[in-house]
Amino acid sequence: MTKNKLFLFAVLVIFTSGSVCAAAKKAGPAAVLPGFTAEDMPYDAGEAVLLRWPVNPAAAAGTAYEIYVSSLEAGGWVKVTEFDAAAKTGADIGLPFWAWNGTKDEHAVKVELNNLFGNFPPGAVFTCKAAVLEKGALKAESLPATIAPQGNWFRLDRLNNLIALLGLITVFFWAVSHAKRKGLFIRRIAGLDAIDEAIGRATEMGKPIFYVPGIGSMSSISTIASAFILGEVSKKVAQYDSHIKVPHYDPVVMTVCKEVVKQSYLEAGRPDSYRDDINHFVSADQFSYAASVDGMISREKPAACFYMGHFMAESLLLAEVGATSGAIQIAGTDVEHQLPFFFTACDYTLIGEELYAAGAYLSKEPMLLSALKVQDLGKLVVMVSVFFGMILVSLGAKFGWDGLVRVVMDLFKGY
Amino acid sequence: MEFFTHSWAMLAGQLAHGWVWFCGLFVVTESWMIAGGWVATGLTIFLFSFLYKDNPFFKVAEHLYLGAGMGWLFQVSVTNVWIPKIWEPVSKGELLVIIPSVLGLSLLTQFVPKISWISRYGFTFMMGYGAGLAIPAGLSTDFISQIGGTIKPFSMLATMSPWAIFNSLVVACGAICVLFYFFFSVEHKGHLKKVSNVGIYFLMIYFGAAFGNTVMARFSLLYGRFDDVYTYSGAKYFYASQIILLGMVVYFLVRWFTGKDKKELDAEETAG
Repeated sequence: MTKNKLFLFAVLVIFTSGSVCAAAKKAGPAAVLPGFTAEDMPYDAGEAVLLRWPVNPAAAAGTAYEIYVSSLEAGGWVKVTEFDAAAKTGADIGLPFWAWNGTKDEHAVKVELNNLFGNFPPGAVFTCKAAVLEKGALKAESLPATIAPQGNWFRLDRLNNLIALLGLITVFFWAVSHAKRKGLFIRRIAGLDAIDEAIGRATEMGKPIFYVPGIGSMSSISTIASAFILGEVSKKVAQYDSHIKVPHYDPVVMTVCKEVVKQSYLEAGRPDSYRDDINHFVSADQFSYAASVDGMISREKPAACFYMGHFMAESLLLAEVGATSGAIQIAGTDVEHQLPFFFTACDYTLIGEELYAAGAYLSKEPMLLSALKVQDLGKLVVMVSVFFGMILVSLGAKFGWDGLVRVVMDLFKGY
Repeated sequence: MEFFTHSWAMLAGQLAHGWVWFCGLFVVTESWMIAGGWVATGLTIFLFSFLYKDNPFFKVAEHLYLGAGMGWLFQVSVTNVWIPKIWEPVSKGELLVIIPSVLGLSLLTQFVPKISWISRYGFTFMMGYGAGLAIPAGLSTDFISQIGGTIKPFSMLATMSPWAIFNSLVVACGAICVLFYFFFSVEHKGHLKKVSNVGIYFLMIYFGAAFGNTVMARFSLLYGRFDDVYTYSGAKYFYASQIILLGMVVYFLVRWFTGKDKKELDAEETAG
């Protein structure tokens, strides 16, 4: 009997404590998170919003925040992220100091809406809220904030890029005027001095010259540089009354090169020697092109081969066959991982920047010389900036001058 | 009337039957697999025969490759560019795509000398668009980001190990010396020559590593070809690899013994 009473009492205790706990869990609505705002993310294309609210210094250990966003079209809340109360402050937003003044006193969260809702129309409205969790339990919740993100025309965060560009343009114009008045010095580049020798050899032997402009498109810088070199090479070919063949991979490059070669023959005073088939299309498929040009080189046995431009895996296929056929070979590319193959199979190789410099070096045109000078200035700026930047950042890190480190790092931040 | 209807029905039936037969040709059967093996191993050996010397087998493979490559690119242009980028948007009434299409078509006027000037509009647009796209991106990635990337490790100096500091210094020193090698405005002599030489050492170390890496990748391609040649040398493929190889060896031997090779060589030397 006593056992039964004890059992009944125990059951009653369990039920009562269960309902008390449930009541405690449902204890009224959660508190409101103060100061929560949603803003348009500055200096973007209108695809993100910025959520800000003050840091709570009294937050207990284990406090976390959850961010939710809702779109009017999709409806319902989408959980964006969850993070510890000490994380994601205003100092963590990746904007430079001149475009953003966030501090560690506030939380700031950038929400990329296009990642959550895909492409949305301009003016679309989104609602955001933040929830405060303490050891997993909801402690407080912000009032929903509504925002319609907008794109910005000017990106203040890229101001350093703009200033660098304007600086380079200014120096370029100064260099053009200086080059026209006094000329500009360029150091000797061995590979380019050999061009005359190669063309002379082809003329003496009565054999053709192959000029391979690579497989780059016209937007590739190395292809543009190659077109400049082709102009100078074909001018010399026209003067010596030699033969040049330019097999092409890209029809657009071929059209540009046709104009370049035609112009060179005109400038050399030999328009009668110009033939339309100097530039000819081979294939727009990489290895078909390589196989075909290899076939041409092995059959026609040219006296000189030039490989200038953008090359990939076909570099060794071409240079190897040229070397076997006994041609003097000069190559140049800015594709670093193909350069070793040209080194092994060619007589002279222009490395990266030397290819860009070649057009100016050969033509001595003030405009091209100025472009080269601006490139040199850019290199000087990089060298000096790396040297002093390294010292300043090291000092800043050593003595805890965070402001100095941030200023230096922001100045050299690309986007 | 009934006669004509019957005749048309007969004709349609025959055409349908013919079409089914034609499509059946492209169903992958055992015979097709064997034929494919012969073509694959044949073309591989034909192309490798260039290592011996230029020959008709290589020429066959070369021209086939060229034609197949262009045919493939043509259908890629039609199915991946023309249909989805032009035909479908225009069919849906998105007429703005006509503007870039016309600019693209203007390039074709190069084939007609009298109106070839029209192509300049297309080229001008391409050059302008390319420069506008490339210059800001290049300035950011090739210039500013490079400086930032080189000095960034030093911002964590307080927590860096001596080895990590040494590593970062080597990177910074390498960047400065290699850049100096490409500095064209001063003659490289005296102390400057030494800096430039250090830059060359850095470059050569990189090129050596790149060379080894690429050669290993090429070897894996070579293994793939050898694997195919070995696979098709089995009885299942009627010893395709051996028969083709043997045929080519016989051809070269016959030419050698009949003296045709020597005549060709003499002709080449005379022309050279």
